[in-house]
Amino acid sequence: MQLAIKAVGEGARALSFLLAKNPQNLYDRTEKGYRVRLTYTVFTETEVEVILFVTPDPVELVKNSPDTFKITQYINDREFVVSSIFCSYARSALATAINGRTIEEYLPWVTHAFQLNVSFGPVATDLSDSVVTGLFEPLGFQVKIERGDVDYLFKLKDKSSARFLHLQGRVTLQNTLNYLYVLIPVLDDYKHYFMDEREIEKLQRYGEGWLANHPFNEVIIKRSLRFRELIDKVPPELMTKIPESFPSDPLDNREPAINLNELRYQTIVKIIETLPSKETIVDFGSGEGKLSVRLGLIPQVQEILAVEPTERLLLRAMKRFAQASLQEGFISPTPIWGSFYYYDERVRNKDVMILGEVIEHIDEHRLPRVMDTIFGSYQPKTLIITTPNVEYNQVYEMEEEMRHKDHRFEWTRAEFIARCNSWADQYSYGVKIDGIGQEVEGFGQPSQIAIFTRQVGSEK
Amino acid sequence: MTQPIAIPHAGIVLLVGPSNSGKTTLLNNLVEQGVLLKSEIVSSDQFRVLVSDTEFIDFGKHSKGELEVLAAKYRQISQSAFDAMSELINIRGVLNKLTVVDATHLWPEDRQKAVNFAVKNHLSVIAIILDIPEKILLERDAKRELPRGRNPIKQQVRTFKNNLGSLKTEGYSAIYTLNEVQLEQSSFVRIPNPLVKEVGAGLDFIGDLHGCYDEFLELLKKLGYRQNEEGLYLHPEGRKLVSVGDILGRGPKSLDCLNFFMKHVEKSLAYMVDSNHGWKIARWLSGRNVNLTHGDENVAAEFLHYEQEQGKEASDRFKEQVKNFLLDAPSNLVFSKNGVEGIVATHAGIRDRYIGKQSKRISDFCRYGDTDGMDETGRPVRKDWFIQHQSGEIIVWGHDPKPQPLVVNNTINIDQGVVFGGSLTAYCYPQKKFVSVGAQKDYAEDPESSIQKWKSKRFDPPNIHGFINGYSVNTEDYGEIRIKEEYVKSSIEEVSHYTIPIEALVYIPPTMSPTTDPSPLKDYLEHPKEAFDYYRKQGIRTMVVEKKHMGSRAILLLFNDVESSKNYVGTSTLGIVYTRTGRPFFNQAMTQTILEQLNTDLRKADYFTKHKTDFVLLDAEILPWNLKAKELISAQYAHVSEVTLMDRQKILEKLELAYQNGWDVSSWIEEFKVKLKRAEVFRDVFQTYCWDTHGINGIKIAPFHVLADSNRTYFDQPHLWHMEQNRDLAAVSHLFMETEFRVVTDEVSEDEAIRWWEEITEDGHEGFVVKPETYIARNEKGRLVQPAIKVRGRKYLHIIYGIDYLQPENLARLKRRNVNRKQRHALMEFALGLEGVKRFVKKESVARVHECVLATLALEAEPVDPRL
Repeated sequence: MQLAIKAVGEGARALSFLLAKNPQNLYDRTEKGYRVRLTYTVFTETEVEVILFVTPDPVELVKNSPDTFKITQYINDREFVVSSIFCSYARSALATAINGRTIEEYLPWVTHAFQLNVSFGPVATDLSDSVVTGLFEPLGFQVKIERGDVDYLFKLKDKSSARFLHLQGRVTLQNTLNYLYVLIPVLDDYKHYFMDEREIEKLQRYGEGWLANHPFNEVIIKRSLRFRELIDKVPPELMTKIPESFPSDPLDNREPAINLNELRYQTIVKIIETLPSKETIVDFGSGEGKLSVRLGLIPQVQEILAVEPTERLLLRAMKRFAQASLQEGFISPTPIWGSFYYYDERVRNKDVMILGEVIEHIDEHRLPRVMDTIFGSYQPKTLIITTPNVEYNQVYEMEEEMRHKDHRFEWTRAEFIARCNSWADQYSYGVKIDGIGQEVEGFGQPSQIAIFTRQVGSEK
Repeated sequence: MTQPIAIPHAGIVLLVGPSNSGKTTLLNNLVEQGVLLKSEIVSSDQFRVLVSDTEFIDFGKHSKGELEVLAAKYRQISQSAFDAMSELINIRGVLNKLTVVDATHLWPEDRQKAVNFAVKNHLSVIAIILDIPEKILLERDAKRELPRGRNPIKQQVRTFKNNLGSLKTEGYSAIYTLNEVQLEQSSFVRIPNPLVKEVGAGLDFIGDLHGCYDEFLELLKKLGYRQNEEGLYLHPEGRKLVSVGDILGRGPKSLDCLNFFMKHVEKSLAYMVDSNHGWKIARWLSGRNVNLTHGDENVAAEFLHYEQEQGKEASDRFKEQVKNFLLDAPSNLVFSKNGVEGIVATHAGIRDRYIGKQSKRISDFCRYGDTDGMDETGRPVRKDWFIQHQSGEIIVWGHDPKPQPLVVNNTINIDQGVVFGGSLTAYCYPQKKFVSVGAQKDYAEDPESSIQKWKSKRFDPPNIHGFINGYSVNTEDYGEIRIKEEYVKSSIEEVSHYTIPIEALVYIPPTMSPTTDPSPLKDYLEHPKEAFDYYRKQGIRTMVVEKKHMGSRAILLLFNDVESSKNYVGTSTLGIVYTRTGRPFFNQAMTQTILEQLNTDLRKADYFTKHKTDFVLLDAEILPWNLKAKELISAQYAHVSEVTLMDRQKILEKLELAYQNGWDVSSWIEEFKVKLKRAEVFRDVFQTYCWDTHGINGIKIAPFHVLADSNRTYFDQPHLWHMEQNRDLAAVSHLFMETEFRVVTDEVSEDEAIRWWEEITEDGHEGFVVKPETYIARNEKGRLVQPAIKVRGRKYLHIIYGIDYLQPENLARLKRRNVNRKQRHALMEFALGLEGVKRFVKKESVARVHECVLATLALEAEPVDPRL
């Protein structure tokens, strides 16, 4: 990780005073975990170049990292790329220049716009070249982006993920460093430390006078602070406009249709409300508990089991249930760690079982065994199944074949009806099939629903 | 008396008779003759001394007041002595010992207690009554040092006579009444326990036959029994057969089975215990009103057929023989060797305190087991009596068909339901080995039989409660392995989302440890020397060294055809290829192509026919690395390589410029030249394991272990055998590749192996794996040793420990690694792997196999450093 700054033209030597680095000496500081070095490479009346580079201790660097036990722990670009790590390591070497303090004689040079060539890298960023350019151009730089070599012996990638940035422009040294201290972490989509409100203070400090007017203001703030809680606290003077939406969970966006989820929950709740037996309900594949939590308010319901194998979702569900518990008459669902591939007697013989948008996450060839467990062993009085109608995907004009990358299949209406009828026959259930959502002629409704009712006296 | 009086091996003998009838004298004689042990005799006099130091109280010389006190005292002492003696009799009864009680036993109440103890402890109680004339008693009393006195004796005789009548109804298995003459002439003999037999040259315990005579003969042949000219089946070593009962009913040839055992038991070539079906037929033959169901009607039909062929007379004779044979069958048999009773045969179960004993209650228990009522279909629900077994003997039993011999707590169920289409099992003792033959057909055709139920339920989803809160697996090779809740849960999440179906997920390869000690060499982290030293220290002299392929670990389950797969994984498939985390290795289309190619190649070579198998289970590495890891290589290895090269090149350029312009940065330049060189090594190394593939062209599969086929596992085969299989497979299909290997036995071969390692690792090859000669190796203490130790090359380790790992200060720190936990996990996962595959081959339930697989996944979920 390195930063080279070259000033060309009259007064170039003033750079050494602004940096407070004697051209006679090499600068070499070893701190715990890293070593910062700086040397001049050229020092003439009209051309001065200085390079600063940092070599972190790789073993020290990976300690306490969240990746500690990943196989690639030691194979880590953090040791080489410019990032917030670099900024903090280089901070004390660049402190004088950043603060704009120098001996009185050279103070005017603080505000002098040099003809500067600034090179730094390597940069590891998921931003496109045009966005990278767009971050620096408005600040008065011409941007050249250099890429690493990819001449591999086998087909691996078309272009290198290592980039090196060359900026050229008439800018003061202090401003340049301020820009870099904000934009290097923005480029690098990874933070090496816990983020708190001090990040906002940094943005205020380094971003003073330019950040609010930067065309990519929103991108810069979002990528600097990452967390909604922090972004909400950014003072208005730092922002061009307030970010409107911030995606929280990609799972919420699994379908293009807005509110289809909501509609489905309402449909299911309505169906259950009309059932004579609804004391005990199993929400199988309950995810983060959005449906379960609604069931807790249906009168007569006495027990809701929310079954889910994913820890992350179970935890979210528990939080949701706890919040909802404040409502009067709310029956809090019981989260259960479970899955279709195991047998669990706790969900046997319940009044209602719901498989809401879950069967399509089961490999099709594994369905018969799963359904045998559900119909044959669990034997709910009423079983409600919903699943996408694949015909409707054309209405969405989707690029992908299926609505979610974990969907193992999506059925047409005819396929769904055929499957449901055959299950109903096999396990002595009656079945009623319907659709959910806006109907489009020829394509049906976006979601399909089947309500199975166990035939009296058909216990096996 | 001509007939000697039989004293049982255990139980209670009550002597009945007034003082001076000669009880003690008789017993002393019997001890002298060796019929009784002194310790088998207890007497009220002895206990009075033991509890109170007082044998006799002389009431003669005391005042009336004193007499009252003494009488009270005497009553108290007598009562206490009696209580203590009763306790002792009971304890001896529990331990299946004989106790002879030397007391007057004049009152029925005195005798009843002993009878109760005997019944409670399933022992017999006999009474020996000494009926001596009063005159003689009085004469003898007068001669005693401390006479009882005339009146007391007379009183005793009256009581004795008055209470003789009730003796018959008090519950003795035998009553012997002796007058003074008979007492003189009588002889006594001690009967050994009829239930205890000698192990002799060895025993073959045979599971429930149920008339499956053909399978029985096949099994006898397999066990090495040969028929002699008399039609008897003899074992050349003199081994004997022990049937755990139920030789008849349900199946086609009950009478043949009966004939066989009647003949062989008579000639002391075989033993047979009583059983529920046997008992029922015996009662039917005794003319009792018995409802013949559950296949017993077939026996009746066979008898009818016999009668039609042989005539009524022969038939009645035969029936009588069969009846007596069945009624004589003991409820249990105990076999001893060197005086130790080591193994017990019984039909349906036994309690520890019943072993070696007979009673109606015990017979019932041994016939039906520990029944706890009926289930909703009217079938008896069995309680697991075997959980309580603690007394050390091996208990062999049948009755309750299990898919595989069930070994729990030193009890072994060997009824594998041959009549239900299962198999017939023999348990060889003391070899502790199972031999079995499969049923020729399902004779019973009972869909409700546990074997058929098991067959249909084998693929049922496992009960989550068996795992979710943590559980333990009993492995044959490592013992109990405990799995913690938090790791089970994350593995269940994994299985629920990503792995191949549970039924096909039969094995997860164990993690592999590097050498325990780092290399002492300056520029090496790992070196073969330490691996060889490790095994030598464990007492292993011969090692197999296999080239380690750098690709991705894969398990291949390959079926002969889509039909046979149903039997093993419950679905039709040509096979399955999955990763070491249980996920599909290829996408669906690619999997199909690979499987079809392998199937074609294997079938062309007659692989499945030659090996008489429906499947083969291979542990392999699939190359190239980029096939599976392309994303990881691109985003991690290539990316880091690119940024490192760029960073170091740029710094070097600037430093060289600075040097030209007069700054003394020469040491920095040297440093960065070395660093750039290392980055180049890194870039070259990771590419060594990558090449382009087109469809299946370019894909290489190196199967280094043949884990199992449908007949057996191959964990008993040495690694050289596995390498041979590897070579054979490579000859069969282009997709398979050979693995180079060396054998290390001495210094010369060790040096040669090290040279080979140096050579291949210098080319960038990963390294090699050192294995003990045998698949499962133990040290002198009997502890499992590491099944393999990996030794990775200097260049390769750049991609594990980082570009600059060889920098001295980095290497010094890396050498401080600790592999203890890794090695412990390697052993547990190894044992779990063996266990799971064994269960899979034995066609145990999905739940039983899955418990091993899930355990390995959970162990891998623990925060163990994966770079080790």
